[in-house]
Amino acid sequence: MDISQYLEIFIDESAEHLQTLSDCIMTLEKEPDNKDTINEVFRAAHSLKGMAGTMGFKRMQHLTHDMENVFQEVRSDKLSVDSSMIDLLFKCLDAIEGYLDNVKASSDEGKEDNELIIKELNNAIARANNKPADDTPAAAESGSEGTAASANVKESDKQYLEIELDDADRKKINELKEAGQHIYGMTVRIQSECLLKAARAFLVFRAVEEFGQIVVYQPSSQDIEDEKFDLTFSFYLASAESLDVVKKAAENVSEIDAVFAEELNDFSERVEEEKEAEEETKPAPVEKKAAAPAKKEDSQAQAKKAVGKPATNRTVRVDIEKLDALMNQVSELIIAKNSLVSISSSEGGNSSQSFHEQIEYLERITTNLHESVMKVRMVPIESVVNKFPRMIRDLSRTLNKKMELVMTGEDTELDRTVVDQIGDPLQHLLRNSADHGLEDTALRIKRGKPEVGNIFLNAYQEGNNVIIQVGDDGNGIDVEAVKNKAIERGTITEEQAESMTQKEIINLLFLPSFSMAKKITDISGRGVGLDVVKSGIEQLGGDVDVKTSIGEGTTFSVRLPLTLAIIQALMVEIRDEKYAIALGSISNIENIPVTEIKYVQAKEVMHLRGSVIPLVRLDKVLDIEPMEVEPENLTVVIVKRGDSQVGLVVDNLIGQQEIVIKSLGKYINGNKLISGATILGDGEVALILDANTLM
Amino acid sequence: MSDLMIDTTVDKQTKQYIVVQIGSEKYGIDISYIDNIVRMQKITRVPKAQVYFPGIINLRGEVVPVMSIRIKMGLEKDEITNTSRIIILKIEDRGMLGVIVDAVSEVVTLSTDQIEPNNVQSGHARDNFINGIGKSGEQLISLLEINAIIDEKDNV
Repeated sequence: MDISQYLEIFIDESAEHLQTLSDCIMTLEKEPDNKDTINEVFRAAHSLKGMAGTMGFKRMQHLTHDMENVFQEVRSDKLSVDSSMIDLLFKCLDAIEGYLDNVKASSDEGKEDNELIIKELNNAIARANNKPADDTPAAAESGSEGTAASANVKESDKQYLEIELDDADRKKINELKEAGQHIYGMTVRIQSECLLKAARAFLVFRAVEEFGQIVVYQPSSQDIEDEKFDLTFSFYLASAESLDVVKKAAENVSEIDAVFAEELNDFSERVEEEKEAEEETKPAPVEKKAAAPAKKEDSQAQAKKAVGKPATNRTVRVDIEKLDALMNQVSELIIAKNSLVSISSSEGGNSSQSFHEQIEYLERITTNLHESVMKVRMVPIESVVNKFPRMIRDLSRTLNKKMELVMTGEDTELDRTVVDQIGDPLQHLLRNSADHGLEDTALRIKRGKPEVGNIFLNAYQEGNNVIIQVGDDGNGIDVEAVKNKAIERGTITEEQAESMTQKEIINLLFLPSFSMAKKITDISGRGVGLDVVKSGIEQLGGDVDVKTSIGEGTTFSVRLPLTLAIIQALMVEIRDEKYAIALGSISNIENIPVTEIKYVQAKEVMHLRGSVIPLVRLDKVLDIEPMEVEPENLTVVIVKRGDSQVGLVVDNLIGQQEIVIKSLGKYINGNKLISGATILGDGEVALILDANTLM
Repeated sequence: MSDLMIDTTVDKQTKQYIVVQIGSEKYGIDISYIDNIVRMQKITRVPKAQVYFPGIINLRGEVVPVMSIRIKMGLEKDEITNTSRIIILKIEDRGMLGVIVDAVSEVVTLSTDQIEPNNVQSGHARDNFINGIGKSGEQLISLLEINAIIDEKDNV
């Protein structure tokens, strides 16, 4: 058993505890007297300390220990939560996160002692203890707790008495006794909040084994290692040392609630008695055995209740690389299926009906399999967005604006790879809202708006996409100002500006190094921001849209595909080239006579049910040889994005197909039109058109 | 080519090159960059790509971009014949890249003293593509500089 195998669990769980702490401290800032929250904070800090200690991260343990002490004072009403305290606590969290980052990178906590923070924490504790009100020192309190625990030795705690022995054990024990060793029965109870119970048990064993040899375990050592026990475990130790020394060693392991131990002198008699009992009444042991597991289950159920973990939530941690491999295999299966489909359709009437049936069956299976694998890869965006409230709080301080973040739909799920990469773009957008979007508090009051600015993040699923809206109730984007700035910077000419729509002008904001900030702040305004947001989101196959109205606020809508790897697409043909268009972006398909094409500003448009839709000749856009004779009818695939629509003129429709998206690689560049490629059933490569770029 | 089998116990002073025909000249490509050599197959055109990228191919389920090194070096357009091959290069961080060559002839092992720096400056842009001249028996082989091939810069 090696501590390093717990490293990953430690990192994950520490991160969870840090998040809990951060959330709770945010709550505390608003409701400094919320007892439940204070208790939760205390628990989280305590667990963190224990885990850091177990893993041997002394600096981290030290810091969390002092932090826990502060919470202890808060809990016992000796210290009240004020804003300087909250700031200090957040500093602690950042420092702990620093340790955790080091652990992640190098399995070591690093050298930073964070003495300054520890000093501040200790000052806070000192302040608390100087208060004249009900001053029972903390030390005395914990001391009395300790004595209370040891005084409460009940017969039921001596679980070591219940250890069942087999012949081999008995023989060994007798041998050891003859060799002059003492046999101690020991039962160790771990604190109920302890998280790495197996690691604790391991430390206890290591401590006592310095003095002797463990003869039997209850439950078995394998079960203990696998954490298949409640809060207690028992064992027999053969040692030449005195009972006190051994007991002390076990008690010195942290997060141990109590150690019950005694020397078993009448041991041999017991063995004999047991033997006799066994011989006398055969059914008795069976009963005993039956009773024991029942009892165990009982206590297990109780333990579960106490911890409050839902029993239904059974999960397995899986390495993302394994999932990727699984996904690749599913992709290959789909390609293979597609080629079977294409063979079966090309053979026409030759193939039998049952062949078709089997292919349809295969198709169903691969689709279901794909869906299941996708679902496994889905994670809620919560893990990314839950760090934002803290960020907004900090921004509120640095910018000296009052603001509040309201989030909805944190449980919306996205592919793991998307979730991992969506953090930065969203963070940029939120910072943008906080810095540029919201007005100064004074101005807000003057304008009759609520003093506290509202920033929101709403996530929801829409078809095959997930929409994340980030916005504010601030000033909105001043289109004129953007226009003037663009002219001033030479991005556009004045004539161009005249003919641009409001939307086009707003989209200028997404150009590289275009910043509207009047002064450069730490938060934003260095010209990196919105273009980074846009390119980041486009890399994920999504897009971003802005809606703004002066005086009322701005909303950025980020649209992301649910899945990255496999999509439903419409295959179309232009001359002899095949292209795929994502089904999600298609609104309908029309067949129109050439005579119905109208011209607006010398551009081709079509009229459809009251709306004017611009036409795009894909052959022209894609540099394909023009057709010699134009057909009388045109096949138009109408794609939509938000409110805008555009009609793509194609030669032929091939049909709907499930396609596996492959990247074009890093060599071919400058191609916004093509978002990737896919391999068709016959081995041919088809390109995937990104309809959004044609809008 | 059996006598040209790759010897795994080559000492550090020698390097192996695959000799290919591009136009009238023979070029050597460092074998450590080569993943694979495949026959000519259907290349799917990618619109708006750089001129020296005729398109992409399906290499056992992976999409691999294919480059015309002739166009990149400012030579005539490729003439696809029976001997034309696509050399698949595998470059760290950037993935696979196919390069069209007119023919693949052999594998040579060159030691450092068989390689001379490229002193012939024809003033042509394609000088950049060559980092040395290898002498194998009677024949001279221009050794291709892989970085120049994958470099974005247009040398035409």
